[in-house]
Parts: sequence; structure tokens; C-alpha cells
Amino acid sequence: MRRTIDIYLRLISVQIRSQMQYRASFLMSLSATALITFLGFGSLAMVFWRFDNIGGWTLWEVGFLYGMVEAAFGTMDLFFSGFNPHIFSRLIRMGTLDQILLRPLSVTLQVLGSSFIMKRLSRISQGALIFVISVAMLDVHWTPAKVAYLPLVFFGLMCFFGGFFVIGSTLTFWTVQPIEVVNIFTYGGREMIAYPMHIYERWMRDFFTYIVPAIFLNYYPALYFLEKPDPFGMPDFAPFLAPVVGVGMLVASFAFWSYGIRHYQSTAT
Amino acid sequence: MAPIIKVENLHKHFKVARHRRGFLGAFRGLVSREYETVRAVDGISFEIGRGELVGYIGPNGAGKSTTIKILAGLLVPTGGTVIVNGRVPWRERKSHVATIGAVFGQRTTLWWDLPVIESLELLQYVYDVPPERFRRNLAEFREMLELDQFLETPVRSLSLGQRMRADLCAAMLHDPMLLFLDEPTIGLDVVAKERIRQFIRRINRERGTTIILTTHDLSDVEKLCERVMIIDHGRLLFDGELSELRNRFGGEREMVVYFDQEYDEVAVDGAEVVSRNGKRVTYRFDGHEITASELIGRISARHRIRDLSVREADIEDLVRKIYEGRLLEAPDAG
Repeated sequence: MRRTIDIYLRLISVQIRSQMQYRASFLMSLSATALITFLGFGSLAMVFWRFDNIGGWTLWEVGFLYGMVEAAFGTMDLFFSGFNPHIFSRLIRMGTLDQILLRPLSVTLQVLGSSFIMKRLSRISQGALIFVISVAMLDVHWTPAKVAYLPLVFFGLMCFFGGFFVIGSTLTFWTVQPIEVVNIFTYGGREMIAYPMHIYERWMRDFFTYIVPAIFLNYYPALYFLEKPDPFGMPDFAPFLAPVVGVGMLVASFAFWSYGIRHYQSTAT
Repeated sequence: MAPIIKVENLHKHFKVARHRRGFLGAFRGLVSREYETVRAVDGISFEIGRGELVGYIGPNGAGKSTTIKILAGLLVPTGGTVIVNGRVPWRERKSHVATIGAVFGQRTTLWWDLPVIESLELLQYVYDVPPERFRRNLAEFREMLELDQFLETPVRSLSLGQRMRADLCAAMLHDPMLLFLDEPTIGLDVVAKERIRQFIRRINRERGTTIILTTHDLSDVEKLCERVMIIDHGRLLFDGELSELRNRFGGEREMVVYFDQEYDEVAVDGAEVVSRNGKRVTYRFDGHEITASELIGRISARHRIRDLSVREADIEDLVRKIYEGRLLEAPDAG
């Protein structure tokens, strides 16, 4: 285990040093991403300027959701850079995956260590900033349980979206090119759960409850943190499913990933 | 001694979608696909002993790299058994690849943006090489491959020859028992090729590393390998010593004769006139039927010879003929 962590850190440090070599491009993309994220929240604030609430939620309540999703997704995007389907599909096309299979290390570990896109830091910090400001404005009633649960929700969100990255990458074993449909879940899902789920149409909400259970990752935990009533009458434990759903999603996607690697090893030319 | 590689009746079949032509064809291809089975490797058996240096040659698409990928543990075969170093490569990938080294010609195992030395140091951890052994190996390979001039250069800025040397060093740092080299000299100039051949020869002799070399450049095989395996259409056409290949298939030789003057009639029994250019005439003859000196005797009985030279069939020609199927009736091939 210690060896695994040691190797992982070394691989990541290579990625960081490589990006530092291109300093101008690094700083530019960092500030560009920061700008885009701020514009995103800016347009949200504009909506509030006109309507003063979304589905009964105030700007800061939505900011709580929004900031959390942005920060968690950004962190996932950073640590799962290698599993970003667009980046991973390049490993297949360039034959780098064969080089990975030739090394006496886990393939998953090496893919995780094959990319670490530092400019994601800007999305993380923007999200964190929005979250912190919102919390400060909201006067949340913090209990020890809430404080302890917050990182678990964050972790669940990361695992959940990481799972979609892993699935998207695994599909490229068959398709070589990344599949756009997966983006609907990853990026579309991210946009979707950044807002309170009760504003959506029934069929859409059902989809994100029973098919892709994203609703447990953000909306229900937010109801718990902000002490809001549950409009859908889910069981009382619904807000606490976030880590379970997230980890379950990631475990399932890694099972698919292993299957994909076996497929690759029997068909790759 | 037990062989390091034992391959029996190896098969690898791929299903390849048949492409339909044109726009409509591409559309239909999306809806329903017809598959074609390609037998990349079609029943190959061989054994390789420890310390051998084997040339594995064949035209493009013959099944060379598929075989190598199976031996390296990257691919799972459709059928047959493979034991490398007592292991089934694809079943125990991690422990298997820890004992092999591989250089796949066009691709580098090194980190693109890192200086060479840092890539090598990183590989020390990847392969868990003890520091003392790493230092010793690195010192030796630096000298053998003359790496010092570009050790601090990022891999992306290396020339092809330099990159190949760095990759060879990377493949050998963990003392693999078995080394796969896929086109190690492709695209290199004569000097660079020679340096790499010397390295291959030395590690084979001094360290006893078993080496399998696939190449298009038959002079690699001629200079390095005693044993050669020729594959085409997924089948082994020849497996034996290079000299045997020459003896068996290399009967044809050529003799270029410069006459004193231009003769009208230059034909002789037992040889065929291949080309004729003034006083210079090229004969082709079968070494099994007539010796060079007999032929010279026959020619000089009629004409005055000023000078001559005899050319051995070169292995490139031989191999081409084998591919073309002209010499396929080899009794123990496959």
C-alpha cells in the first residue's frame, strides 16, 4: 500500500512538473476557467436579481448546492483527469495503454497517475468560494453530525462523477472515440444537481432518482444541512445515502472498467 | 535446460468489421455489421532457450507484433498455450512484466516532458529496483549507450536515435531475463543502427538476456541473430539457423563477368544470363548444380574473361522469395 501511494505521488508529481514547464499556458487556462465559472454563477445571480428565488430557494441556498457541486466535481475532475474519456481515449489511440500494461503496476493506478490537470484548481476554488460565502450568508445551524457529514457528501459526489468518467473511458475500449452521450450524465448531471431538484419536471426528477440516483448526492443532503422539508416524502435516511450511492457508483464503474480491460486485452491490435 | 519460452499451437483471431463502401455503406455499417475473422496468428509452436537471440521477421500484418504482444502479456490469445518463464503471461501480468523488458519501436515508455534521467529514476520505483543495482546498471548503460550527452534533455526534444537509446536503457534497468525489441533500428542512420546493434549483442553475451528481435531490416538479423523465425499469414514458414536458411534456399547465386571484348553469344550451360551491358554480363546459377569454378571454366573455355565477381544470394532476396511462396515446399516448415 505504501509503495502504491509512493508511486502514485511520483507519477502525479511528473504531471505537475510537466505542466509547470508551460507556465504561460498554465496561467492563462487557470484564469480562463476561473472567469467561466464566475460567469456561470454570475448569470445565476442575475436570475435572482429578477426573481429573488428559484422554486422557493434563496440565492444563497442555491449557492450552497451550486458551490458544493462545483467544488466536488472540480476535485474529481482533477484527481480523475486520467479517466476523463477525452484524455483516456488518447492513451488508447497513441498506444500508451500498451506501455501501461507493460509495467508491473495496477492499470488503474497508472491511469490515475497519467494526468493531473492543474487548471481544475480554479473550478475547485471558485466552487469553494461560492460555497463558503453562501454558508456565511445563510446562518446554517451547524451540529457536530452535520460537520462530520459534510466531507462525506463531498466524497460521495466525487465518487459519483468519477464513476461516470470511468464508464465513459471504459466505453472507448469499444468505440476508440469518446461517446458524447456520456457527457449528458457527467456534465449535464453536474449542471442539473447544482439546482434544487424540485424545479424540474417529474419525469426528469424520476430519472435522476431511480435510474441515475443523483438526487441523493446533493439535493437530499442539502435539505438536511439547510433543514428544509422533503417535498417528495422519501424515507428519513434519504439525505444520508450520498456516500453509499457515490461509492456504489464508483465500485460498479470499476467493475465495468475491469471488464473493459479484459476486452481490450483480447481484441486490441 | 528448460526453455524460457514455450509456445504451442498458438492462435489469435480477430473479428474485424467489414467496411462497406460509400456513404450509404457507412450508414448501413452503423446499423448492421458484418464481421470477418482475421487469423493474425494461426497455429504457431516454438521454443526459445535461455540466452538465445532470435530474429522474428515477416511482412507487415504477418502476425509478428500479435505474437510479441501475447508473449509480453498484453494480449490474450484465442487458443494454444504459452509459458514464459514458468508463467502464463496474461494471467499473471504484473509478475510477468516485471521480468521482461520491451521496446516497441515508435513508442516511448519514457515521460515526454521529463529529462531522460528523471524518467529512468521514476522507472527505478516502478520496477522496484534496489538502489545499488540501479546505480550499477545505469552507470553501465550510460557508458554503453553514450547517454551522457542527453541525460538532462526532455524526452520530447531527443532525436529518434537518442530516444531509442534511452528506451533501451529504460527496458534493461530492472535486469529483465527476456527482452522484446520491435523494430529497434527503424528510421535510424547507419551509425546509430550500428551502435544499437552493438548494445544488443553485448547485453545478450554479457548478461545472457534472451532477446527476440522483430525487424524489417534484415541486416539486423544477419548481424545479430543465429536463429531466425519467419512468419507470414500467421504461420511459421521457417525456424532455424540463418546459415541453414541460406543453404536450403540460397542455392541461387549470381556471377558478374567482365569480358575482354563484346561477344555476340555469351550463353553457357548451367547458367542463365540475367542482364547484359556491353562487356559486362550477369549470370545466375544454382549453387547446388554447378560450382562457381565450373562455371568459370565453361565460360573461359569460349571467351576471355578480364574480371569477375560472385554474389551470394542475400537474405533479403531469400525472404522475399519465401514470402512469395516460391520456396514454400520446405519440408519441416510450420
